[in-house]
Amino acid sequence: MTGAGRASKAPAPGGRVREVTSSGRATPRVALLVGGLVLLVAVAVVSIGIGARSVPPAEVVRALFDFQGTDDHVIVRDVRAPRALLAVAVGAALALAGALIQTLARNPLAEPGILGVTAGAGFAITLGSALGLTGGQVGELGFSIVGSVLAALLVAAVGRRSPLRLVLTGVALTAVLSGVAMGLRLMLPDVFDSYRFWSVGSLAAREQAPLALPLAAIGVCLIGALLLSRALNVLALGESVANTLGASVGRVRIAALALITVLSGAATAVAGPILFVGLIVPHLVRRPAGGSVPWLILYTMVVGPILLLVADIGSRVLLPTGEVPVAVVTAFLGGPMLIWAVRRHGAGAL
Amino acid sequence: MSLRRSSALVGALALALVVTGCGSSKDGSDAAGKGKTRVFAADNGKITIPADPKRVVATGYAVPAMIEADASLVGISSWKRGEPLMSKKDLATYKKLPKVAGELAKETNYEAIAEAEPDLIVIGVPAPVLGDIDVQRLESIAPVVAIGPTVPSAWRKLTRKQSDAAGSLKKFDAVQKRYEAKAAKLAKKYEGVLPELKLGHVGAYGEVAKGTFQREFGNSWGTNIAEDLGAKYYGKVKKPGPGSHAVSEYPSIEELPASLRAADAITYSVQADGSVPKAVKYVMDSKLWKNLPAVKAGKTYPLRYTEAATYGQAMKTLDAIDKSFAPLLKR
Repeated sequence: MTGAGRASKAPAPGGRVREVTSSGRATPRVALLVGGLVLLVAVAVVSIGIGARSVPPAEVVRALFDFQGTDDHVIVRDVRAPRALLAVAVGAALALAGALIQTLARNPLAEPGILGVTAGAGFAITLGSALGLTGGQVGELGFSIVGSVLAALLVAAVGRRSPLRLVLTGVALTAVLSGVAMGLRLMLPDVFDSYRFWSVGSLAAREQAPLALPLAAIGVCLIGALLLSRALNVLALGESVANTLGASVGRVRIAALALITVLSGAATAVAGPILFVGLIVPHLVRRPAGGSVPWLILYTMVVGPILLLVADIGSRVLLPTGEVPVAVVTAFLGGPMLIWAVRRHGAGAL
Repeated sequence: MSLRRSSALVGALALALVVTGCGSSKDGSDAAGKGKTRVFAADNGKITIPADPKRVVATGYAVPAMIEADASLVGISSWKRGEPLMSKKDLATYKKLPKVAGELAKETNYEAIAEAEPDLIVIGVPAPVLGDIDVQRLESIAPVVAIGPTVPSAWRKLTRKQSDAAGSLKKFDAVQKRYEAKAAKLAKKYEGVLPELKLGHVGAYGEVAKGTFQREFGNSWGTNIAEDLGAKYYGKVKKPGPGSHAVSEYPSIEELPASLRAADAITYSVQADGSVPKAVKYVMDSKLWKNLPAVKAGKTYPLRYTEAATYGQAMKTLDAIDKSFAPLLKR
């Protein structure tokens, strides 16, 4: 499936290539991965157990395995479980998209929003709202997906030839779309009113939205990223080395861009803009991954959901007055965590 | 300069003096009229206002009240949210009047208000929002009385006070009388069923993005007019706040069963065209809603025009409530 448990070439600082064998560093990596998965399950269980209404732990378990349709069971099964599932999917999608864009752009400050995804979704929702077409969650979801995918496609089309061009195109398109959307919102107060709820990413109240398609797309992309990880490992050595090794640089880049587009577009569509997850998770896992892209991808898929689940639990319990959007918590956690990671480990090799 | 031209100039000067003199005389008589004043107690203190104002500017919640009371308006703020509730005549008046402010207090156009030359300015915004308005600047134009909303059900007293400030109580009293007569008639019609029911209300201002719903209690927007018919809304806000927060709260959807399980019947706010607002739809699509005893018993009733804030508007609400509650009489 991946190069994770097998021998793989990984770039080391200074451009040297070193062998990573299953008998060497892979064992602690596997242990770390298993530990991460156990932690993920534990955090998910806590997430399902916590909410505005107190549900006894025994009822939480019964709701999952012996559903009786009581109010407690409905809360666990229809409100909290979908929310936890959403946190796992969105966390994995954003973290993985961040790892991919940082690898592709060879820029440690790159994050999924750099492809114009967030700005595209925000612009589309603003426009749809101004035209009176985003009546409910379904409408918002549709406009958000279309906007983010179109923006990312435009950026990818213009900037596909070089990482720098890609980043600059993304920044430029983000500025243009954000400016036009802000102009519309300032002229139309009703549009501003509906946009402000979307503009702060949240996992609350998504249980009734049609999430099957975006979640399925995220699932397919996670598998796709694992399949692409060895090719990305070669690309991480540098374009000329990759060419020498016979890698199809252009195809790998297009495939990675497609994955980033769908991952970040789907995540932004279902949860709104959640910054920092895509930026910090790759930094947190880069050191244990030891320069191996396949391990980096595997770790981001586990740590991203853990981070978002913890932030989502925090969003429910931090304030006695009620919930705060999860994007506020990730921003609050994200800054200090990023500083800590960079000070402790450096920016890491890209 | 020739003697002939000099004579013409003197003549023109004399004519100008006569005209100016006439103008002064007219102003003087107006000033005498304006001289009659009274002291009026408003949110911003005791204000000396004309006893019989002739040129009134109204903003915010004062707009529909003043139009309904036939006040001598020369300028109003935009009040789109109230348009569906206005009568045809009031809507025509509203559209015809110059707009001297936008929907928000921050959008007050001071120059437009000065151009309207008002002798009284009535501001109908909540006290916390008053800080967005440069009251001192307005006071340099005309006396300013701030009479803003507090608890939703207080519109009865507030609109009376606003109409009183504008010297339009006669028309106000007539409309109030009609409302009270209609409410009394409907209260009699439902006296056998409504007072027996424990009612709960879901309002239109929940925040879907936060997963909350608006639970309204007695004296709130969605409930206060139905209460005039004898409806009894049970419960109270857990942590009361100022204004509407004293009579409504925003719990998580997870708290829906605890909040409304005891209700015999549930009313909910809908828009003027009868469509269900996003915040209410979010609640009604939830399985927790479908589990509620009142919902299972089919005792849910949509209420239109719950934002009514004048007696004239509230008559529309009475009709809507009557239509919605009609099935109760068949049971």
